[in-house]
Amino acid sequence: MSIVVLPQDDEYVLNYCARYLTRENQEIRHNYGQFEEQDALGSICESWRFPSVDSYWDGKDPKTSYFYNRVTFVYKHSGSSPPGEVRLIGNFACLYESFLLQPVRFLGEPTVYHALTLVLPKGKVYVYKFIVDGRVCLDAINPQRVVLDNGQPWSRLFTDLCPELLSFEPAEVELLARLTGSVLPLHRAERRCFIDRYYEQIDRESRKVEYAHTQRLDRSVGVVNFIDKLLARQERHHLIAYRLCLPIIDKLLRAAHPDSEPAQLPEVVFDELCRAMARGRVPGWDYTAYNSPAYFLQLLRRHTFTGAFSHPKYGGNVGAAGWAYLEERYRNPEGDTLFAWRRAIEYPLGSSTVYRG
Amino acid sequence: MHNDFDVVIIGSGAGGAPVAHTLAQAGKAVLVIEKGPLFRPQYQSPNGLSDFKRDELFATGPEKRIRVPGVSNWGESYYSSHVEPDLNDEPHIYQGEDGRDRATIEGYTAQVVGGGTQLYGGVSLRYCPIDFCLGSFNAERTDLQDDPAGDIRREARDWPITYADLEPYYGRAERLIGINGTRSGQAKPFGGDYYQRPLPPNAISDYVKTGLDALGLASYRTPLAVITEDHAPSGRCVPAESEVAKSGFINRYGDPLGLKSNTWVSLLTPVSRLENFALWTNCVVTHLGCAPGGRIDRLFYRDPSGAARRLDLKPGAVVVVACSAIESVRLLALSALEGAEFDRRIHHNDLLGAYFLTHCLGGAEAIMHRRCDKSRSLDSDWATDACQSEAFLHQTGLWAGGVIYNNTSDQALPLSLARTHGSQDLDTIWRAFEGDTRLLGEPLIDFLDQSFGTLLSVCFMANQVPLKSNRIALHPSARDKWNRPAAYIIKQWHPHDIAAMNLLAEQCARILRFGADPVHGRHPIEGQGGVHLAPNARARIANHILGGARFGADPADSVLDPTCRAWQFDNLYVTDGSFMPTSGGANPTLTIQANAFRIADHLLARI
Ligand SMILES: Cc1cc2nc3c(=O)[nH]c(=O)nc-3n(C[C@H](O)[C@H](O)[C@H](O)COP(=O)(O)OP(=O)(O)OC[C@H]3O[C@@H](n4cnc5c(N)ncnc54)[C@H](O)[C@@H]3O)c2cc1C
Repeated sequence: MSIVVLPQDDEYVLNYCARYLTRENQEIRHNYGQFEEQDALGSICESWRFPSVDSYWDGKDPKTSYFYNRVTFVYKHSGSSPPGEVRLIGNFACLYESFLLQPVRFLGEPTVYHALTLVLPKGKVYVYKFIVDGRVCLDAINPQRVVLDNGQPWSRLFTDLCPELLSFEPAEVELLARLTGSVLPLHRAERRCFIDRYYEQIDRESRKVEYAHTQRLDRSVGVVNFIDKLLARQERHHLIAYRLCLPIIDKLLRAAHPDSEPAQLPEVVFDELCRAMARGRVPGWDYTAYNSPAYFLQLLRRHTFTGAFSHPKYGGNVGAAGWAYLEERYRNPEGDTLFAWRRAIEYPLGSSTVYRG
Repeated sequence: MHNDFDVVIIGSGAGGAPVAHTLAQAGKAVLVIEKGPLFRPQYQSPNGLSDFKRDELFATGPEKRIRVPGVSNWGESYYSSHVEPDLNDEPHIYQGEDGRDRATIEGYTAQVVGGGTQLYGGVSLRYCPIDFCLGSFNAERTDLQDDPAGDIRREARDWPITYADLEPYYGRAERLIGINGTRSGQAKPFGGDYYQRPLPPNAISDYVKTGLDALGLASYRTPLAVITEDHAPSGRCVPAESEVAKSGFINRYGDPLGLKSNTWVSLLTPVSRLENFALWTNCVVTHLGCAPGGRIDRLFYRDPSGAARRLDLKPGAVVVVACSAIESVRLLALSALEGAEFDRRIHHNDLLGAYFLTHCLGGAEAIMHRRCDKSRSLDSDWATDACQSEAFLHQTGLWAGGVIYNNTSDQALPLSLARTHGSQDLDTIWRAFEGDTRLLGEPLIDFLDQSFGTLLSVCFMANQVPLKSNRIALHPSARDKWNRPAAYIIKQWHPHDIAAMNLLAEQCARILRFGADPVHGRHPIEGQGGVHLAPNARARIANHILGGARFGADPADSVLDPTCRAWQFDNLYVTDGSFMPTSGGANPTLTIQANAFRIADHLLARI
């Protein structure tokens, strides 16, 4: 399928770039632990925003548009003269097909930016590089990088509703699903029926596209997938906490329950573990490896709650199940919902045909 | 190139846009330079989408960490959206109670075309007539409470204009901006009714109305800058489903539909296609240059690439600074650092930055019996001026009063419920929730059951005692991303402010108590108080950034003359909230806008 290139909108690109990418002060003020100490990326504000992954509207059909993102690649030159040509290659197309980035202008004059906007499907992970005057280079702004099997580094991006695991291993996912299930037990007691029923209702096709992977691993509302994406992009500085704490938890559960796989242990075990973490005193916790289980729990709670109730595009709140739970649970005596979220949210996720997302 | 503008306006928010609108309509060559981006509503956007979203995560942003060298809250979390400045790049610093400096997100509105009016709740109140003459009202009083040193009588000032002078401009602002509300019940004289019809209130606000009625307090529908009918001056139309504006994504959210009357959709869009109007976005003005004789003849800015640029002004051109009070004071102070002539003139007295003001604010919150769908709301439904009357002030010993109104959209959505749980402001967002680890497992579900759609708050917004020691300065060491000194906020509460906040918070609590229990008034209150109780109370300014360049009739006692021209400058005007000598007993934006329309008329006469 050929890739749709959208007409360049210089105002859109400058709106996106100026705030984050212009500065004189090169102090490392934006590294909260996600980069090596002196990595120049630490001087860029919110470098994770690049390339920009935005909503898309084809001008006609909200249902088709909903399944695509508008992705804008930005190259910023820092030399004294601008490059002659900047091109993009990536696995969204054949690797021998390159796309030309256009110079971005302000008041008729060139700026330091070149940009290109593509329409890419949601739910995908891509790798890409720039070719600047024939020289292949990574995106110097986007911190997401991967080394492929052939040892080559690439810049990476993922689009909305991405189900592919980027931060966690499958075993970690199972453990985390249990922990988040204890923090916010939406999938328990009478609530479980609702969530299960809701998933059954979700249109099968969209479930296949959007939620297959998430739902299999993460029986509640996709919180783990949300955290996986958050740690791959916006809050990458917290990845280390999960990297350290999940093995500690795995180990202490194995020590306490040698006959069971940790992820198969009963709910009460996880409930008690979370309460102990909240108190900061967890029998068997390796305090030399990570000294504050209470802090990790606080983080986990914020991430869990956010994942359950933020817009599904971030990978959690699968099919808006978190919102649907509130919609169903809070009703007046006449049976009308007291959280009519659908009317405000874009179709086809919600029912608003005025707001397009 | 580009030096043929009659007026250059720095900042496109409440203080800048009315001037731009008026002068551009009158055919003057107008340039607006705005630091932030231009985020259009859907109906204007070439791609059919807005850069504002109904998305709670997007609007608050992910967690980041303070990394400003030297501040004592280094390493703490903060959150900022895509239109709030990044704290590490552009810190505001305040001095805490312990004398140590901290970076704060407080004191910024929004940096985008439209400024704070893009994110605001839109509560668009006129000040009461008495707010304009608090100096004379208090001059002879002997019944003021909590003012042992006589600060109020010494420091309160009358404005150099009266309510009557501003009244026509309030009307013009209401008409051109697009505001819904009701006049009846307000304690201010109106020359005309320009309000659009308010939408039906949210059901939870019935409690407030009941409380107000039970206490015999005259009330009115809170005027809100949201169009509910087609608005001819701006050409905006309301979709067939008129309640579409009620979404819960109100306060702190830009409106993707453009129904909220921010200054871009209401004032700048109508002139944006005129040939004599130019808007340069993503350009930050770094300083102004002054020629001998006191004329601003050049300004310096960074373009969207970050390159340093200079703009020369033609003779007769006027410069209007409207960057919001803290940033305007900072821009003037930075300009003084860059040029001796500017320095000598702006510092002809020691008042630049002094008498920085915000509002005494606070309120009360309760859990109501009945759950309501708060996600179908605008920012507020009911308001009362009962605590602004002279009789009330004499009875309570307060020097000035304040409006009381209910918040409807607060905590209407699930994430906002949690992230503002126990937190006071943007500096403490999520913090109390994170710390409240009782909310774990079933208790977290119970928290939702108890609070979702049941919390109701009533708040007050009252005058703060002006003190010279409350001021905006340049920080001695903290630098922004351009290596320029950051703004330094030095502020504390006067004992009278604290007394006023306690008293008004009790009024708010009474409204809630009687709202749910009209006979006995015994409904339990979850929390009540003023902002002075917040952990960062000294910084707390609720986005109401006022004073620091006050206007007045006496050059020795003010920074600006009655037309908001900086004394000793020929062509330098300041029209954002910094002009206010007292902060008024209501949310400030309509007054900033009305005053800016007044200044625009003055400029029309001189350009
Ligand atoms: C969440 C929120 C809710 C609010 N709710 C209400 C409410 O309900 N009612 C009410 O009355 N008020 C409310 N306010 C306050 C209201 O937004 C402000 O009072 C109002 O916007 C102030 O007007 P101003 O002209 O002083 O500044 P602004 O409107 O903020 O405009 C200043 C503009 O100047 C730009 N700027 C700054 N520095 C520079 C520079 N160096 N160069 C170029 N441009 C620059 C900024 O980017 C900004 O766009 C709220 C604010 C917020 C943030």
